[in-house]
Amino acid sequence: MNDIADVQGNILRGYRKPYVRYLILEVADPGAARRWLAASVSGHGDGVPQITPYNWGKDKPDTCFNIGLTYEGLRALGTPSASLAMFPNEFIEGMTARALKLGDVGPSAPDNWPKPFDEPKRIHLIATIYADKKQQLDQVQERALAGGALKKLDTREGCSFEDDAVHFGYRDNIMQPRFEGIHDRERHDDGQPRAPLGTVLLGHKTNLEDLMWRVPQPAALGHNGTFNAFRVLKQDVVGFEDYLDQAASDLLKHKQVDDVLAPGAEAKIGEVLKLKGLTRHGALREVVAANLCGRWRDGTPLALSADTPDPKLVKEKFDYTGESRCPYGAHIRRCNPRGGQIVQRVANNSRRLVRRGVPYGPLYVRTQPRDPGKAEPERGLLGNFIGASLGAQFEAMSCDWLNLGLQDPRITESNDPITGSNDPSASWFDLPLKSGNTIRLRGLPRFVSTRGGAYTFLPSLSAIRFLGSLTT
Amino acid sequence: MVDTSVAKQLVQAIIDNLPAPVGPRRPVHTIGIGVKGEFVASNVARNYCIAEQFQGQPVPASVRFSNGLGGPDQHDGWSDVRGMATRFHISDGKGSDLIATTLGEFFVRNVDDFFKFTEIAKLAPYSRLSWWQKLCDLVKLKVPDRDPYLNETENVNAGALRYANQHRFAQLGVFQAAVIGAPVSYARASYHAVHTFWVTAPNGVRRPVRFSWQPVAGVCNTDPMAVPQDKYLFKELDERLKKWPARFMLMMTIGEAGDAIDDCTKPWPGTRLRISMGTLTLLKVSEDQEADGERISFNPNRLAPGIEPSADPILEARLGAYEASREIRGGCPFKWSKVDAG
Amino acid sequence: MPADEGLLDRIVNWLPTTLGFKRVASWILVPYWAHKTPVKPLPGGPHASFQHGDNVQCMMNLIMPLKVKSPIGRAEAALAIAQNKDAIYAGLNNVGTVHFARFVIVGDNICMFSVYDGDFTNYIRDFIATIGQVFNAVVSLVEGGDDVIPCEENVEAFIQWVHERDLYQVPDTPTDFLRDQEALNGDRAVSPVNDDLTLLPRKLVLQLRANPNVSLGSGYRAYPGYSAAQVRERLGLGW
Repeated sequence: MNDIADVQGNILRGYRKPYVRYLILEVADPGAARRWLAASVSGHGDGVPQITPYNWGKDKPDTCFNIGLTYEGLRALGTPSASLAMFPNEFIEGMTARALKLGDVGPSAPDNWPKPFDEPKRIHLIATIYADKKQQLDQVQERALAGGALKKLDTREGCSFEDDAVHFGYRDNIMQPRFEGIHDRERHDDGQPRAPLGTVLLGHKTNLEDLMWRVPQPAALGHNGTFNAFRVLKQDVVGFEDYLDQAASDLLKHKQVDDVLAPGAEAKIGEVLKLKGLTRHGALREVVAANLCGRWRDGTPLALSADTPDPKLVKEKFDYTGESRCPYGAHIRRCNPRGGQIVQRVANNSRRLVRRGVPYGPLYVRTQPRDPGKAEPERGLLGNFIGASLGAQFEAMSCDWLNLGLQDPRITESNDPITGSNDPSASWFDLPLKSGNTIRLRGLPRFVSTRGGAYTFLPSLSAIRFLGSLTT
Repeated sequence: MVDTSVAKQLVQAIIDNLPAPVGPRRPVHTIGIGVKGEFVASNVARNYCIAEQFQGQPVPASVRFSNGLGGPDQHDGWSDVRGMATRFHISDGKGSDLIATTLGEFFVRNVDDFFKFTEIAKLAPYSRLSWWQKLCDLVKLKVPDRDPYLNETENVNAGALRYANQHRFAQLGVFQAAVIGAPVSYARASYHAVHTFWVTAPNGVRRPVRFSWQPVAGVCNTDPMAVPQDKYLFKELDERLKKWPARFMLMMTIGEAGDAIDDCTKPWPGTRLRISMGTLTLLKVSEDQEADGERISFNPNRLAPGIEPSADPILEARLGAYEASREIRGGCPFKWSKVDAG
Repeated sequence: MPADEGLLDRIVNWLPTTLGFKRVASWILVPYWAHKTPVKPLPGGPHASFQHGDNVQCMMNLIMPLKVKSPIGRAEAALAIAQNKDAIYAGLNNVGTVHFARFVIVGDNICMFSVYDGDFTNYIRDFIATIGQVFNAVVSLVEGGDDVIPCEENVEAFIQWVHERDLYQVPDTPTDFLRDQEALNGDRAVSPVNDDLTLLPRKLVLQLRANPNVSLGSGYRAYPGYSAAQVRERLGLGW
């Protein structure tokens, strides 16, 4: 497993740095861009920022720097056409061409994406800067853009919140696949089989028995590379909170409300979630939020504790076997049904992804009164969904599981409650009760809309050297 | 709400394009026949819609079949859109209407389109193509225009085609109308209510739907190569119903988010949920054709509680236009107001 | 029949119904117009859609010409299917998204027709994972198949190969067929446009020249909108 050292540093592990900036770049001068690539892996740290490798040494660097290339980017750099043809279709076509599979319709449709995503063919390279301090972002950016090899089309920037919170108020960053042969101190046993390395790196065994993804040749280019779906996902936090209000009010009037929230349970929920004086309505909001996601907002999985959140529980280790109280349609269950029964049995564990995301936009303070007359600033997530096959993992999950709900006949034809492109006139979500019955929530609007993105290839360090050495 | 002047203009635009004045009669679908029958909802219909006609008890129904062409002359055998207007006589005394035609999709999206269409699709002289023009079409792998029917000296085909060539939304409706043919019987055609309606289920869920009547006797057209007869549909229906009732199945298709709700030029795919809502049994041709064929006034917006019109601008325009037309011909002033329709 | 109709009128009316004219048109007119107004083949499989109903009960109509066009070749294909019945049925049960699947031999083609739920590439990929060996056995008998087997090691190429042999599904309305042609040519105009609807017959003829085998319409469904697992669940058959 020695050649893992050749993998970029942000794939198998996360850096956990608070400031992240994405530079969306166009190749201005192919020759200079190739020299830029060669310099980025030269080990001489004073010019072009150095690509952070998997083996970053004993101490994590102050700043980290990684790159992804689009198909247009590979072309612009002069990648031989025989090599280009070996990349998978979905990557060649690009994210905008796959909009229907990804649910990028209506307000999420690529036609509505702002600059620079309105000109996808010009996006060649997406470089990511990770830093402990905000001013470091500027310093690295300046070094990256010096020399004019690459033209900056635009940037996107995010900053993580305390306790790994995300805009909708959940604790995130609890789960990532653990890989065979990779030791990561931050990842504990999650009750799921370790993912074969081929889940995330080209040239290795995949989760589907005997199946191998095509490795673009020469091996130096394709081997140990992977693919990333970079997504700018706008989150309607106000809409989400409003929906929780409405659903909680409806539930309060429901004759089975005590099955949803046992009388008196609001005190325990308020205590764990640190919400003082939580009313029954307020607690029902948290119950709805927990069911939509599959986790309470503190991260407690419903699969382990469906009635109240429990800070003492290990948040990673659970499964959906037997009579799990996690809704079949809950977001985390739709993304990864783990070992639970699904229609496409062969797909259990085969569509797993590495997720690296950071929120953008200001923190939403739930206790602060809102001025309805004032427009809310844009908030969202800069997400990276990484896997060795975009088609078999990211797209398969998005299309069959999040959008269609094919994995379980009880959720088929409903969309993911949190990320789905829901239309309130048709959307629904079944809230399970202890008794085994369900209450159907309706009228879920779209909470998340896509505001840009690109499919990129995350080359190994050898591949960056290969591209840097091309002569055309 | 359509203002009445627009409604009157709509009716006038239709009247202006008639081959001959019709007097106090409908300007289109002028020729028609009233039939008596009964509708019985299926055992699942009530799960989707609370309207009285879908609760399962037999509901008396009045139906008017018609030829789409405007004008006093009857040409049953001509290729033409046919109408099937149904009133469910529910207990509120006002009734609930379902107006359907053999055309699956309309050719204009709104009133503005319609006025432009009537400007372009005016009656124009129609004559037989010469043999060399036809040969020329065949060489171009086109299908030559059909020969005019006996006494057919003008029609709107050329104008409608011109309009469709400029507007893709109109192409389906115009194309379908052009090849629609003539049914061997009013009871042997499928009729579609074209617009989207919203139905409310007992649990309060509202769904966008489209309705179609499907003839139990099957769809059958006359031979397009044969010389068309002008008058046979009334007699055929009368003789048929004297022997045996004719039945239609009411199919309701449920639209999905993203389907065209407010645009009747756009079809819904056959992959949508389709609910069998009940069976209409036609029992006899009405003895009083003046009351049941002529004076009865249908309106696609006359709907039982539990069915609501969509925001389709054509559906909305029909609310006023049908009323304006009814006033002109002194149609039966039904116990009806616009408030009831909403 | 109008009285003023002359002999030539009648001949021209009668002409298109004759076999002779159709043959001449096929030999001369069709190639001429295909040259003059070229038409590209339309891609196979269901039309891309985000909507739920369009993504369940999708059709696959796979036509694969056999290498050996004789009773021997056909028997080889029949045997390849028969010998792998267990594998095929176990695979279908576990893939879980298939309503119907059948193999048919028509004129030295081995055809696979199925009705499945969800995305086509996921469907084929799951199948490669479960019955890859059967695919290898069948595809090795088919023209051009050697390039993509073993399918387990050529997943992307195999899926593409299958997609290319999946029949174009002519839309249910004639105008949607025109929209398909326009989309293929990158024409996204709405209104006003300058179309000629009377060319529809020729466009259809030329398209059927480019796509000789097609599926007509998206097919009838008795219970549209339901996945295989939903039907099984509601009938109490388990899934």
